[in-house]
Amino acid sequence: MIIFYRIITALFCFFVALPILWLCYAAFMPQDAILYLDMTDIGFSLNNFVEAHKSGIWRALGISLFVSSVTVAGQLIFGLMAAYAIRQGLPVLWPILLALALPSELLMVPLYREFQILKMLDTLQVMIIPFLASPLIIFLLLQAIRRIPQSILDSARLDGASEIRILWQVVAPLLRPEMLAAGILAFAAHWNLVLFPKVMVSNENFRTVQIFLNDLVANRPLDWGVLAAASLIATLPLVVLYLVFEKRIITVFETSFKG
Amino acid sequence: MQSRAAHWLGLPALALLTLFVFIPLVSVLRFAVLDWSPTGSSYVGFANFHRLLNDPQLVSSLKITLFFALMTLPSFLWLSRSIALAIEGTPPERLIKVLLFMPSLITIAGSSIAWYLLYQPDFGFIYELTGFALPWSSTPWAALVYVVMFTLWQSVGYGVLVVSAALKGVPESAKEAARIDGATENQIRHFIVSPLLRPTLAFLSIIGGILSIQSYTAVFLLTKGGPFGSSSVIGYYLYETSFKFFQLGYGATITILILIITLIVAALQARVLGLGMARGQDFS
Repeated sequence: MIIFYRIITALFCFFVALPILWLCYAAFMPQDAILYLDMTDIGFSLNNFVEAHKSGIWRALGISLFVSSVTVAGQLIFGLMAAYAIRQGLPVLWPILLALALPSELLMVPLYREFQILKMLDTLQVMIIPFLASPLIIFLLLQAIRRIPQSILDSARLDGASEIRILWQVVAPLLRPEMLAAGILAFAAHWNLVLFPKVMVSNENFRTVQIFLNDLVANRPLDWGVLAAASLIATLPLVVLYLVFEKRIITVFETSFKG
Repeated sequence: MQSRAAHWLGLPALALLTLFVFIPLVSVLRFAVLDWSPTGSSYVGFANFHRLLNDPQLVSSLKITLFFALMTLPSFLWLSRSIALAIEGTPPERLIKVLLFMPSLITIAGSSIAWYLLYQPDFGFIYELTGFALPWSSTPWAALVYVVMFTLWQSVGYGVLVVSAALKGVPESAKEAARIDGATENQIRHFIVSPLLRPTLAFLSIIGGILSIQSYTAVFLLTKGGPFGSSSVIGYYLYETSFKFFQLGYGATITILILIITLIVAALQARVLGLGMARGQDFS
């Protein structure tokens, strides 16, 4: 039986790796080799990256990095505060669980009207402010905050520390690994929004990297190399983030789902 | 000792959630009785609801969403469990987890480009190599299968991480005791490990259920709902109605329907997660 599972695993790994490898390969292929698909002409060229560079991807990448980083920073700060308040007995777990099931893309119709009234359509803020409170982050941090023994909090209080001081100087340092893991998951989720920015932002200058790539496929469907190179450039930030913190992310997973 | 003084710290998050989740949640009811486009709106009573009940495209989207979930969920659970069991404790375990998690990190539009370059029927690599035109853009059922495969490609890594974490939580003593009693490894897997994995798989299936309702991004990137609307899941139908044809009033009505479905699934989710949390507290 285990042999069968291993065969499945090997096949699935191949299935997962194939598009990734092909993407990397196509990005470095010379333009001609792609056009005539001459596999014997295995060349190496950085031309595609030059082309992608000229297409304006850096601006889109910068916009995405900016809105996603600011959003996640806010999510962590407000999430930590909210999780601590809930741990201290604020009875709002149910509304948060409810919000967990309702992503903003589901509520785009009423949100569209709201942003019209608030004059937020077509701005950078519209990709940040509505996401600043993340139910997922609150939930994950709450799980972690519950593991901190009450005695630690009590002794800080007896020493006369204010609640804010306890939160920043006692709780936050203890939660660093969880904040990191939750932060990376939230960053990936925000980074990968497609329909929301597409609907709420039509200004070309504020295109996120997803919208940029999507437009690139529509405009240059046959430029394989450029498409692949642009995709690789757009992927870099997340992969670097993950590889640097891979061990800690897995550890947090193991502690939150154990048992 | 709990501190009431800390309660106000929850205020910013609650204010934001109120403004961007709960108010839209309520105001959608108001928009559903309007014939509303970006240029103006007029009151039409229950016309949108009447249309909702007589909309063949809506029925077909709901069916497609159900098919999508029925294809995705069981294979997602089965693959997550099988792969987690297969790699448990083997040398390449960590490497395989990194590889399988990779797709969820690739910028999603970049992933769709990778698939496009490989599987595009007219000039994708597979076609150039074999001359076999993949049926995604011509055969209705195949487009949906394509989206299912993409979704599995993207999400099984997450499932493996979760199941594998649960496997590490199975007490070694239980397995050891069974081994001493003469149980084979297959029996241990079947009678000891599998029952202990059940809550985790329940958790994953609820997550997967919600993801199925929200599968519109992959549809948008891969098939745009086509061919002939055959891969237009309910979330994508909502997007098209509201922001391609700008029938926002009817879009609000569809939103209400999706909300009801989501909340039913979410009620299940809250129960499972609630159980999980109760367990977590017992341990600490």
